[in-house]
Amino acid sequence: MTTIRTIAVGFDGSPDSEVALVWALDLAGPLGARVVAVHARGLLSRLEGWNSREMESIVARLAHEHGVADGDASVRVEEGDACSVLVRCSQAPVNADVLVVGSRGEGKHPGLLLGSTSLELAQRAEVALVIVPGERDAASV
Amino acid sequence: MLIVNELTENAAHEDPGHPERPERVGAVAAGIGSLHLGGDVVNVAPYRATRTELVRVHDGTYLDELGAYCYAGGGDLDEDTYATYDSWAIAQFAAGAGLAVVNEMTHRGEGVGFVAVRPPGHHAQRDRAMGFCLLNNVAVSAAALADRGERVLIVDWDVHHGNGTQSMFWNDPRVLYVSTHQWPLFPGTGVAQEVGGLDAVNRTINIPVPPGSTGDTLVRALDEVAAPVIDEFDPTWVLVSAGYDAHRADPMGDLLLTSGDFARLARRVREVVPAPGRLALFLEGGYNLEALRTSVAATLGTLLDAPFDAAPPSSGGAGEDVATRVREQRRVALELARAARTSGEDA
Repeated sequence: MTTIRTIAVGFDGSPDSEVALVWALDLAGPLGARVVAVHARGLLSRLEGWNSREMESIVARLAHEHGVADGDASVRVEEGDACSVLVRCSQAPVNADVLVVGSRGEGKHPGLLLGSTSLELAQRAEVALVIVPGERDAASV
Repeated sequence: MLIVNELTENAAHEDPGHPERPERVGAVAAGIGSLHLGGDVVNVAPYRATRTELVRVHDGTYLDELGAYCYAGGGDLDEDTYATYDSWAIAQFAAGAGLAVVNEMTHRGEGVGFVAVRPPGHHAQRDRAMGFCLLNNVAVSAAALADRGERVLIVDWDVHHGNGTQSMFWNDPRVLYVSTHQWPLFPGTGVAQEVGGLDAVNRTINIPVPPGSTGDTLVRALDEVAAPVIDEFDPTWVLVSAGYDAHRADPMGDLLLTSGDFARLARRVREVVPAPGRLALFLEGGYNLEALRTSVAATLGTLLDAPFDAAPPSSGGAGEDVATRVREQRRVALELARAARTSGEDA
């Protein structure tokens, strides 16, 4: 049986990624697992004056609200496209047992197959993958 | 003699405010113009790369999907990469420009080729656009040459690792891929331990350098790490993914190269070109227009023995130990890869 110690969740600040983060935190609490919110930095992000502090505060607030200890929720920022960065999370140093993503990231066109992180991850992930429906997806079911 | 595609800015492939913009081609044209080559320039009309030529490195499904997406109006393909209605045709012409330049050089048996097209190509993967790139221009030409029986060396001095090119030739012993790039940096690939697939062990050489590195670090690593492998590979053609975003003025990276460093890199490349008419450079990154202009001039001025103005080469930056570290990491990775190949053969 697989023991879930580390959950890596794709987090780009979009509403769907926040839904995915909350789902991961709710899973982590009872298991005593740690959650790593992974943010992939693309080429343009270095031109946008982006910093990780806002992201860290969101993760810390949500972790607190969902009963996950501060030390068990963290933010990891890596250069690369979202899919490749998340695939790498199943290896050291993150060693994720599960990957969690929202159904749509920021800047994606709904229904567009090209560039769809969740669909590409479904093909490339080396560990279990959970795709959490966003609020619109859930409402439309 | 400079053999260059007809330079067009391709303004129909533009996303306002995006750094990969039409004016980049104008900067290249200005750099070439500053060399006053006169009648020593041959302009080659690009053609639209055919599906047969593209599927050597791209999945047909991806080509269909990209074309359909563009003709539906285009939009963002990912957080970095855009396409417009015209991008599909423009990308096909960009890939075809490389083929046209290579064909012209083959016909003439002389000259230095320069393929100044956009969008760039080296991040484009077999089945997806990425990092401003739609089709992998240098890979399309390399694959065409390899299918003609050539041994192709690709030198990629863009500040970013050419992950698309590496993956396309990962297991192809006909192509040697050598990349110098900043690490860590987008796309996060390109560590020294990536040495090629089991059918192409030692056909990938990655030289990741830390932020703040200067030109001397790159040159020393090329001399100490790549040169012996290149000698052994004995290329019959040399293609360069000539990105200019490793320049210190470029906003996309943190390396400290000057225009003079690109002259130095060009000299190193020239030393491994096997015969006249067997070297073509493909524009990749480079987003500071003045740095792009002066660096292209320094590159081509060096290769064509034309006078040019350039800043002094840089030295004394970070990464003093890069060559030693990369050599050691590669040694271990090569041992593992060769052992894996042997055990596969025994099985």
